[in-house]
Amino acid sequence: MQVFLQTIVGGVSLGAVYALVALGFSLVYRTMGLVNFAHGNVVTVGAYLASTFYLSTRLPFALAMVVAIALTGVIGLVIERVLRPLENRDFDLMLIGTIGFGIVLDALIIMIWGATGRAVPSPVPSAPIELLGLRIRTYDLVVLAIAAVATVLLVLFLSRTKRGAAMQAVAMDHEAATAVGIHVGRSNAIAFMIGAGLAALAGGLVGPLLYVSPALGGALGIKGFAAAILGGFGSIPGAIVGGLAIGILDSFMAGHFQGYGELFTFLIFTVIIMVRPTGIFGERTVNRA
Amino acid sequence: MLRRRATAISVLTVLTAVLATGCSAPGSDSESSGDESGPIKIALVDAQSGQLSSLGAWELKGARLAIDEWNAQGGINGRQIELGVFDDQGDPTVGTNLARKIDSEGYIAMIGTAESAVTIAMAPILKQAEIPNITSGQSPGLVAVNSEFLFLNGPTSTTYDETLAKHIVDQQGIKSIAMISNNGGYGKGEHDAFLKALTSRGVTPVADQVVTTDQKDFSAVLTGIRQKNPKVIFLGAEEVESGLIVKQARDLGITATFAGAAPQGTPVFLDTAGAKNAEGTIVSSPYLSNDINDAAKKFAAAYQAKFNEEAELHGAKAYDGTQILLTALKSSNVAGGKELAEAIRATKYQGLLGDFAFDKTGVGIFVTSIGTIQNGKLVAAAS
Repeated sequence: MQVFLQTIVGGVSLGAVYALVALGFSLVYRTMGLVNFAHGNVVTVGAYLASTFYLSTRLPFALAMVVAIALTGVIGLVIERVLRPLENRDFDLMLIGTIGFGIVLDALIIMIWGATGRAVPSPVPSAPIELLGLRIRTYDLVVLAIAAVATVLLVLFLSRTKRGAAMQAVAMDHEAATAVGIHVGRSNAIAFMIGAGLAALAGGLVGPLLYVSPALGGALGIKGFAAAILGGFGSIPGAIVGGLAIGILDSFMAGHFQGYGELFTFLIFTVIIMVRPTGIFGERTVNRA
Repeated sequence: MLRRRATAISVLTVLTAVLATGCSAPGSDSESSGDESGPIKIALVDAQSGQLSSLGAWELKGARLAIDEWNAQGGINGRQIELGVFDDQGDPTVGTNLARKIDSEGYIAMIGTAESAVTIAMAPILKQAEIPNITSGQSPGLVAVNSEFLFLNGPTSTTYDETLAKHIVDQQGIKSIAMISNNGGYGKGEHDAFLKALTSRGVTPVADQVVTTDQKDFSAVLTGIRQKNPKVIFLGAEEVESGLIVKQARDLGITATFAGAAPQGTPVFLDTAGAKNAEGTIVSSPYLSNDINDAAKKFAAAYQAKFNEEAELHGAKAYDGTQILLTALKSSNVAGGKELAEAIRATKYQGLLGDFAFDKTGVGIFVTSIGTIQNGKLVAAAS
């Protein structure tokens, strides 16, 4: 029982990070119908920026995160601006474009920060909390809290603000949205910016848990993408559930099947997707791809 | 929608395929030794990007230092030595493509890689092309490849882990040992070698857990181990992963001592784990510190002057390996192919790691020492 519960605890903290990555994927997808293949690399950029401001310029961790999120958001804007001429013309080229951006970002990361990584000390150095024989890292709780707040803010933005409602409208029918005077390009830009910001949030938060290196985003990107698909691509609650599910599933499979854990994680993922191709919270409204 | 998605996926697949094969040249026939003038071309293949890139960076520095020393003294037979650097990304597929590439570009010998799995993948191509290769890998799998062109610049896992088991079981009398290793080339080699060393002493590990090479969360594995309450936990994984395991283990309240081979003595391991968490870790290594003898001191000083950082095991190994290769090139009059391989095998060299004398398996050194991490530094253990 103890192993069971501790495994869930371990899975949940990484799951929250996967969920944030999945949110970024889903947000861009629901707005533009585009899979942003550079998303994993944007996570790495965010992780490096946050760790640089935290370690080198010695900003407090929270402030370092805010700066990193803002800067990474700008990168999202740049990606969208470059891809904008292709919008509604050639979708495949846009996909390739995001792959290209991923490669460029990867190269830039290695040029700026070098190929070797760095370890980020935990900003919450207190000892883990002991609860009924379980040990819960305080930093894990911080990660969960921040992920929850970010999700609530995102949902409020999408449902309660005019700009958010406009983005929803573009997601549903971009021609009708244009007809009623919504600027589709701006809506896409905001989606990319928020997506990149979420990526930076995920990257910055995961830094102290793992090791920041150019390869960081690759692993997180694949799991985050799987999480988004599992939850229902384009769905906000789906991304959260999918992320936590992948995290916990991964944790259990690693415990049971050891070296073949990853294989079983993705086997189960495949079976779920075969049974329910739209994912857990599959939405049918997004249909532009 | 479906059709478009399908097109996108097929474009992706093609792109990936093109990227993957892009490095290999068509028709890679070549003359290995080639012309008698111009620089002598030596290839260094290592991970310069990815999670294993710190290994690649250290290797490059060690090799560069040795080559610059020789070039400063006029090279070999009046010819300068040129080091071509290739990035294998720690990926066996990329490695095999690079093996064909260095063959077609007429490199006479290769240094690297630091990753056993990559070296094993490259070995058949290098054997066919008759390009001698001095690797920093240590998996017993390298010996099993059975190539007369493959040499190791350090001991194999068998030596590392036999020494480690001797220290832990025979000298300290600890029998309650758990093992965590990954399923990559290095981890598998470590797992088999350490398990064999334990079995031969009649010790059965209380837990024998295998993880994947890019696993990030070890709570299931570690909680299981915590319940067995071992005294020592053996780590058969690379620097970063080992560091993460140690960090998470301490967070879970595991107080056992960790033990391992080369990776557990590196600064990357220490940084990732956190110095406090790694305190007391037992390390089996052929190169414990930069001040074990005069040669090591001299090497460390030159390394510090050139790269402005402290030398460590992997740089020292690559330095030794490169020195051996250059010595063999000189003694064989810049021969290539079989003749160079024979010259390497015949080279007796007093290196930083000890006295090299290669046997027919390509292993030249058979001893390691035990150190422990004290106050964030690796120091020789009192025996």
